[in-house]
Amino acid sequence: MQDRTTAQRLTFHDAMETFEVDFSDLTFTDTAEVDTFYDEVDRQLAASGRRWYFLVVYPGCVIAPEAWERFAERGKNSNINSSLGTVRVGAAAQTRDAIREHAGRAFFRANIFDTREQAIAALGEMRKRQRAADAGTKAAAADAFLRIENVSLSFGGVKAITGVSFEIKRGEITSIIGPNGAGKSSMLNVINGVYHPQQGTVTFMGAKRHDMNTHAAAERGIARTFQNIALFKGMSVLDNIMTGRNLRMKSGLLAQAFRLPSAEREELQQREAVERIIDFLEIQAHRKTPVGRLPYGLQKRVDLARALAMEPKLLLLDEPMAGMNVEEKQDMCRFILDVNDQFGTTILLIEHDMGVVMDISQFVVVLDHGMKIAEGTPDEVRSDPVVIRAYLGVGH
Amino acid sequence: MRGKRNLIVLFVALLAGLIAPLATGASSAGFWVEVLLGGLMAGVLYSLVALGFVLIFKASGVFNFAQGAMVLFAALSVARMAEKMPLWAAMLLAVVIMVALAFVIERLVLRPLVNQDPVVLLMATLGVTYFLDGFGQTVWGSDIYEIELGIAKEPVMILGNLFDGGILINKDDVAATAAAALLVILLALFFQKTKTGRALRAVADDHLAAQSIGIPLNSIWVIVWSLAGVVALVAGVIWGAKLGVQFSISQVALKALPVVILGGFTSIPGAIIGGLIIGVGEKMAEVFLGPVMVKAFDLAGGGIENWFAYVLALLFLLVLPEGLFGEKHIDRV
Amino acid sequence: MLYRENGQFKTSYRADQQMLPILQDRIFMGLLLLFVFVGAPFIFSDYFFLSILIPFLVLSLAALGLNLLVGYCGQISIGHAAFMSVGAYAAYNLVLRVPQLNFLVALILAGLIAAVVGLLFGIPSLRIRGLYLAVATLAAQFFMDWAFARVKWFTNYASSGSVSTATIDIFGWQVNSPVRKYLFLAAVVTVFAILAKNLVRSHMGRAWMAMRDMDVAAEVIGIRPVYAKLTAFGVSSFYVGVAGALWGFVHLGSWEPLAFNITLSLNLLFMIIIGGMGSILGSFFGAFFIVALPILLNRAPEWLGIAMSTAMVSHLESMIFGSLIVFFLIVEPQGLARLWSIGKEKLRLWPFPH
Repeated sequence: MQDRTTAQRLTFHDAMETFEVDFSDLTFTDTAEVDTFYDEVDRQLAASGRRWYFLVVYPGCVIAPEAWERFAERGKNSNINSSLGTVRVGAAAQTRDAIREHAGRAFFRANIFDTREQAIAALGEMRKRQRAADAGTKAAAADAFLRIENVSLSFGGVKAITGVSFEIKRGEITSIIGPNGAGKSSMLNVINGVYHPQQGTVTFMGAKRHDMNTHAAAERGIARTFQNIALFKGMSVLDNIMTGRNLRMKSGLLAQAFRLPSAEREELQQREAVERIIDFLEIQAHRKTPVGRLPYGLQKRVDLARALAMEPKLLLLDEPMAGMNVEEKQDMCRFILDVNDQFGTTILLIEHDMGVVMDISQFVVVLDHGMKIAEGTPDEVRSDPVVIRAYLGVGH
Repeated sequence: MRGKRNLIVLFVALLAGLIAPLATGASSAGFWVEVLLGGLMAGVLYSLVALGFVLIFKASGVFNFAQGAMVLFAALSVARMAEKMPLWAAMLLAVVIMVALAFVIERLVLRPLVNQDPVVLLMATLGVTYFLDGFGQTVWGSDIYEIELGIAKEPVMILGNLFDGGILINKDDVAATAAAALLVILLALFFQKTKTGRALRAVADDHLAAQSIGIPLNSIWVIVWSLAGVVALVAGVIWGAKLGVQFSISQVALKALPVVILGGFTSIPGAIIGGLIIGVGEKMAEVFLGPVMVKAFDLAGGGIENWFAYVLALLFLLVLPEGLFGEKHIDRV
Repeated sequence: MLYRENGQFKTSYRADQQMLPILQDRIFMGLLLLFVFVGAPFIFSDYFFLSILIPFLVLSLAALGLNLLVGYCGQISIGHAAFMSVGAYAAYNLVLRVPQLNFLVALILAGLIAAVVGLLFGIPSLRIRGLYLAVATLAAQFFMDWAFARVKWFTNYASSGSVSTATIDIFGWQVNSPVRKYLFLAAVVTVFAILAKNLVRSHMGRAWMAMRDMDVAAEVIGIRPVYAKLTAFGVSSFYVGVAGALWGFVHLGSWEPLAFNITLSLNLLFMIIIGGMGSILGSFFGAFFIVALPILLNRAPEWLGIAMSTAMVSHLESMIFGSLIVFFLIVEPQGLARLWSIGKEKLRLWPFPH
């Protein structure tokens, strides 16, 4: 018994991002009537293709007990899929009870209002809060990806790092430069938990830690290569890179021993991922070669591949071009840029070759004797007199 | 530091165990002292074997686990040669043989493996031990031979008025301890006071630096190995005189390990103390702890000294994974 | 010409990842298995089974277990015979006290008990490494020697300290003749070898090898050292425990506590050094070598027409063992298995020189 059609009871208020459903003076006697109404609601929501705030108007709405459950269920389903938030106006006691049972008490109580004006005001508040939260997340994302605060590290009497602070942004390539013994490798080791600083904190993706645990670092997406190529000399290239997938391989001991289909499948999946990396770094020809037999340049590439296999968010490269000739350096630069470009990986690298640093980094941090003496864009750093005196020498 | 605290706890526990038989009155004071002295004397033997080991490591950085087998070989040589010539001549000849043997082992086995993991060296020198076992018995025969040092073997009663019934000690044990003590003092003086001794210590610290100040490395090796050979000989003779010369791989070759773990690989006092601790620990455990365990667990006999040294070393390692006097490793990555 | 991979292109990762990707290897393995199970029982004498093949099979299994720990995971253990004795005594007590238990079940349970004990003695490896760990494992060896000799319950209060076992009965099939013993062992060892090979080429095996090669880098990649080391100890002790039970039940029949002494431990170690550390095949080579050499040495004098006393033979054995250990450690640390793969490489090129 309706004086208006269902379609007339549904209104989209674009400006308020709100979808108004008007149940006032409606009676639902059985599930079929509920379904008919809600089918139209769902159809219109689907056609709109957007998500909305809901404003549901109940005064005078009568729902027979047989229809309660269906009413609440359909309402919840529509809400779940399309609602950015719901406010309700004046529901009758019976309706309230039915919906309360299905929608959850606290939630229900929080958004029933007596008048339409109150409801709309509440809706406004809800939208404002949501916007602030969204802005917050965005801000957090633009926030420093990695922040080092006042880190100090010493071994016995030797101070490796003293009070170093800097930030790197997500998606950028940052270089750390400085003379030998400046504490660059130690800095990387602190970031991924190999060394534990006596002072200071490392904040990675919003999580502040006084002291990182290597396993936690790996799990959270920090990977690194080593100055001395810490590859597993007893294994082939393929196996070395496969170890990088170890965190993702979950099959149990018995499954592996009996090579159950689940274990085989997992092995194949990871193999595929690794092969993509092998293709990316162009080392297909050497898959099965024991790593110890490869020339130095290729070993460095395998080290990189192994780090990439972890699908890291932050990649720490410790002198990735050390000991390479010009062609090898060009290849490695290309790979690093590709990694940053294609996978969006944030990269922090230690490098001595100024040409490379200037070419590929967006930000440079300069360390000397364990302290930060400068930071900025490559051009800023290059012309900084402090840096020139300590490290670059005149004439760069 | 937590390690130090646990170490103190361990020490206190051991001391308590040591004194327990006295405190509970389970044994008379005299008997306790007897066992203690017996343990110390046994410990002296261990110390001597470990000493040779530490000497070589200290001066050349080489782990010579074949030291134990060399001790045996020395003893065997002396025992057999002494049948044909006076003891002093036999010992002199044995020194020559030992030095030659040491030289061969160093050249053939240890030098090719110079940068490998100590475990690899352990296994290689176990191989050497096996070889010397067979070789020694081939050359010198497989019976149990005796070394006559001319010291009476009967025990002597001392301090009868201090302790009820006096304390029994063996004269040859006393001689052994005296000889070992003399050796240690001489070695300490050698390393601290003589030019060669200081040179040896320099070489142990840094080969290249030592070479650059003109210390001739080759003659250093010779000196070191001769020293080790002499120590092995002394140890061998004393051991042989006491127990008869017989090969037992677990006693001779492997027992040095717990000793150097306790005492550290580079410390001469450490080797001594380690050996003494092991010796006393073993004897005390066997004599006092043994019967307690037999009663408590209804065991078929004792034999605790077979494993006590190793378990003791294990406990120390759990507390201080680098050994008592060991050096900390910092892995550069 | 024979051993070329020409034409054997793998078109899927699954094919590439097979245990035996080269066709000739598969044929060879098939023929070998055929020979082992069908041919050998008819060819060899009882003496050959009893004195060579049976001890060889059991010791291969033990060497395999030790290789998993030492060769693949890089943790040293010079007291591994202790876990063999745990397996043997566990099996003995299970069969004795729970007679309804099927022998195979008892065998697996004995292995599991050995695995637990191995795990316990593996805990020190979390803090101690290398040489120091070697000494800790010696503690296991000597302690177990003593425990099984002294704690009367283990030997069922036998006054002599020895235990003896009855014939193994598996669903009515009596393992009572040399041929049957051989077949039973061959079956068990084949299955265990396949399981080990699977483990070693999956992520657990790679984690072990990573720990062996560079444990700091392994940790950085996300491998948990504790888990890797303890599983290595556990699995290794399981294998070795089963081997110990088989050694006692099938090979020895009856044994006294010193049957699993330090000499056996050192022999196991030598097997994997000579055979090849980090190689499943190498464990077999090493075991065969250690079993065959003494017998060869015993027979050699008569074949060569030289008179030699038994004592002399045993001295010669010690000397040859000792020299071989040193030789392999210096010249070919990867043992006979490496020589085998070099041989295969040469076969690949044959008849061309290079």
